[in-house]
Parts: sequence; structure tokens; C-alpha cells
Amino acid sequence: MSNLTVTFNGLASARIDMRWLSEAMINSYAVDQTNKLTLPVGNKKIQVGELFNISDNFNGNMVQLENSTAKLDNIGHALPQGAHLTVAGDCGHYLGAQLAGGKITLTGNTKDYAGSAMQQGIIEIKGNSADYLGGALPGQKKGMAGGTILVHGNTGNFTGDLMRRGVIMVTGNIGDYCGSRMIAGTITNLGKIGKQVGLGMRRGTILLPELPDDMALTYINCGRHNLGYLTLLLRELKTHNSEFKSLHSMRRRVQKYMGDTSVSGLGEILIWIG
Amino acid sequence: MIINGVVIDDTFSEAFSMRATRVIITAINYKWARHAAETMTGFATSVIGCRVEAGIERAMGNHETPDGRPGMSVLLFSTDRKTLQKQLEARVGQCVLTCPTTAVFSGMDNEDQIALGKNLRYFGDGYQNSKLIGDKRFWRIPVMDGEFVCEEMAGVQKAIGGGNILVFARTVSQVLLACEAAIDSMSMLPNIILPFPGGGVRSGSKVGSKYKGLSASTNHYFCPTLKGLAGNDLAKNIEAVMEIVIDGLTAEDIRLAMKRGIEAVCDLGKSQGIEKITGGNYGGKLGEHHFHLREIVDE
Repeated sequence: MSNLTVTFNGLASARIDMRWLSEAMINSYAVDQTNKLTLPVGNKKIQVGELFNISDNFNGNMVQLENSTAKLDNIGHALPQGAHLTVAGDCGHYLGAQLAGGKITLTGNTKDYAGSAMQQGIIEIKGNSADYLGGALPGQKKGMAGGTILVHGNTGNFTGDLMRRGVIMVTGNIGDYCGSRMIAGTITNLGKIGKQVGLGMRRGTILLPELPDDMALTYINCGRHNLGYLTLLLRELKTHNSEFKSLHSMRRRVQKYMGDTSVSGLGEILIWIG
Repeated sequence: MIINGVVIDDTFSEAFSMRATRVIITAINYKWARHAAETMTGFATSVIGCRVEAGIERAMGNHETPDGRPGMSVLLFSTDRKTLQKQLEARVGQCVLTCPTTAVFSGMDNEDQIALGKNLRYFGDGYQNSKLIGDKRFWRIPVMDGEFVCEEMAGVQKAIGGGNILVFARTVSQVLLACEAAIDSMSMLPNIILPFPGGGVRSGSKVGSKYKGLSASTNHYFCPTLKGLAGNDLAKNIEAVMEIVIDGLTAEDIRLAMKRGIEAVCDLGKSQGIEKITGGNYGGKLGEHHFHLREIVDE
């Protein structure tokens, strides 16, 4: 298994679609072959070799993308099981969109739609994420359908919008409209949460350390409970190297709110007690 | 072969192929976990009449169970996968779901799986929720003490049922004492259950019957009150015979259990009234697994 390095020279004036990188990883392209791939950059077509320095042939599953910036979109698009992409720096939109089992580690921040429509796999973001983390691709009706997104920083608005399955773990704060139109899955954080949590949520779980300031009236207070499945969930969360490790796995007493009753109302917002 | 005065017959005990699953029942404390496990494994002595053979494998500590609570590991055996699933669902539905504070999980990670909570979830009447945690799906069914959590599927594997030893003694008390010692020793082992009441069987059966439609009938060759009749070759001093039936996940598990059982019986010896140990040999009619007593003792 090689540890191949792809270095961005930063010379592009417009946004770059990085789906070529996934294509090269999946098909084990040689350096020459990869360098000749053409990319639409603005109103021009540029060869990969003009913007990226590739250290070796793609013949393994481990790839390191160096000097990444917020101009690079679609990094790690649809990477399959076994593929591991490490991104040093920031990245643009659609990080790990439609991820199919691969693993992506980002050292910096990401823009919108990270993990959108991902199927399975893990995305670890060591910085912050912008809006629509784990959401649906524009025009689609279902967000992430499996896997785990771990954000060590904060996330923007509409985190988990239309989320269908999987887990979003945020060690910091989450913006407004978290879990909007959520279909199922789990979102949890350790920091603050913005306005209108779970707006239009059908099913799924939002697990929070404290009560949001403006809990919608369409949520029913179901009282305080010990929920046994939280131990199962916590044990899974603790398998990832993050601040969630510090949670005790038997911590399962929560205040439960059920909603959003303006739709099917079977989702739940759980607030840790104690 | 004679050990401590006890004759080990030169024969084999015959066993048959089964399918087995293991579930872990947890509860707020051992008391309720045991209530559920005992209820679930009730009326599960023999596939002949119960369709399934089941028993408690062992108690499990908080650190061993999926949800960090005290638990019981239960093994269920049946002749085929379909029956096993049906029995599992029925027994969990009636005996575990109903028992306060319990939850139930698969105790096997095999790829081959049968439904555990997959259909039970409908008891939730639309209020049930599922959680996919790791690669396992769990169902949360609202009940009157909170939520009943159950794993969607349980692993299933090939197994063996009907391994056995038969103990011959001079009195009923002596054969019971010997069997209790054997059962205590065997019960310590993993991957096996002794499905009959307390682990012992007094109504050992033979294959077939003179009556049409009965697949098994009393093993009259070993009934002391029939001594002297054709086929019954019990010695004059034998007044009681007791059988211990063992179901195990593998042949090795059964062999080890038989060995422990034979050793425990032989430790008591002839001085305690134990005369002989033999195996349920049905001439190959019962099953393809043959456990030769003397080989097992020599291992």
C-alpha cells in the first residue's frame, strides 16, 4: 500500500472540480495518464499536470492531498471502501459527497455540502464545516444515507438537512436549522446549538448537551427518561478519536422532545441530564 | 474400561445436526434478566415436543453486555433455521418483551442471521424507532416502563443436539447425586446447554414406537421395572438410570462436556453406587454425530 502525495500548486484562478482524483484512485491511474486528464477551470480546460504535482502512480488506497484550498470542490467524491484520502489544508464544497465507504480526513475547514448524499464511510473534519453538512445534493430529496461525519470544530446552518441515515458528531457548535427536514439518523454535539432545531424533522435523533433557546412549539415534551439504546450509541461514538470519548457510556438520562408534529412528528430531540 | 469401579461402556452416544442461535438478555439487574431468560427457555426441553431446545448458557457481567447492564446468555437449538426463527421470535415476544426493563441482543456475529426484533418491532404500532449503530440495526419499541431495545437480527450457526451420557446406579438417590455432580461440572462450560429440567432426563427415549405417528417412545431397554424382558439387559443391582443430554455449538464443545460429566460421575465411583456409564446408541438411526465414550475419556 503506497502513500501517494498529490500537491496543489495553487495557481488556479477559478474553482476546480476534484472528481478526477477519485477517478484516478478508483482506477489506479499512472502519473502520466493522470496528468493528461483535463479539468474545466473557469472558461478554460486545463490538464491536471498543470495544477497538481503527483508523486507516483495511483496503485494503492492511501492518498495525501497537500496544499489544499477552499477552491477545490468535490474532494473525495464517491470514494469506495478501503480508500483513505487525507487532505492537508482547507477544501471547497462537496467534500466526500456520495462517499461510498471510503475514509476522508481533512485537517482544515470545509465549505458547504460536505458529506452530502454520502452512503457510507467516514469523514473527519478537524476544522469547521459550513452549511448543509450531511445534507442532500441540490435538487435531491435525501441527504446522507449512512456512515459517520465527525467535525472537531463547528458546523454551519442546515446541518443534516434531509439526512436519511448515519451519524453526525460535532464537538463544537452547530448553526441554525440543525436537522431540518431530517428523515432519520443521528446528530449530536457537545457545544451550543442555533435556532429552529429539527424544523420539519420526521424521524431521527438530535442529541444535545443543553436545551435550545427557542424549542419549536411543534415539539412535545415527553419527560425525562433513561434510554438504554444511548449506551449502544455512546459506545459507537467513543470508537472515534474525539472529545466524545470523554462521555461515560452509561450516561443515558435525557429529557425527550418529540416532533416535529407539523410533519410526522416521530423525531426526537434529546437533552442530556446530569 | 473401568474408572474408580465405574464401567465405561464401549459404545458411542448419537447426536444430530441442528441450528443454533445465542441471544443476550439484559435488564436492570440479574433478577429480571433471569426471570426473562428462564421464562424464555421454559418448555424447551426437546425438539420432539417443543420444536426448540433452549437453556441459559451463563450469566454475564455488566462489562460483557452490549448495553452495560447485567445479562443472561441464552442458547436455542432447533432442527432447522425456519423453526428456530419462529420459536425465537415467539419466545422473545412473549417472554422477554413482556418482562420489565429487559433488552435483547444477538450473541453471535455470524453472517448467517435470523430475525430477532425485525418483526417484533410492529408491536410498536408505528411509534417504534430504529437505530443503525455501527453495522447493526436496533429497534426501540415504546413500552410502559420506557423502551424495549432489541437487535434486528441474531446470528445463527450449525450446531449439534442430543449428545448424551447415561448413568447406571444402584438407587435413584445415587444416580441423582452422580448426575447432579456431572451437571454442575458441565454447566460451567461455554457453548453448551443441558436442556432438560435441571439438566437430567429420566424419560430417555428410543427412536420410534409401536404406535403409529409417535417418533419417539420410552427407552424400555433401560427401564429398571422392565428388567428381564427381551432386550432389557440391565443388571440385577441397577435400580435407576439417568440421562444427561447436551446440545452444543460444536462437536468439540459436546466432547468436552461429556468428558467433564463422565469424570464427575467417576469421581464418586462404585463406592457411591455408580455402576456404569453408557451412551444413547440408536444404531445410527438418530444422527450422524457419534461420540465414542472411551475415546473421549482418553482425550
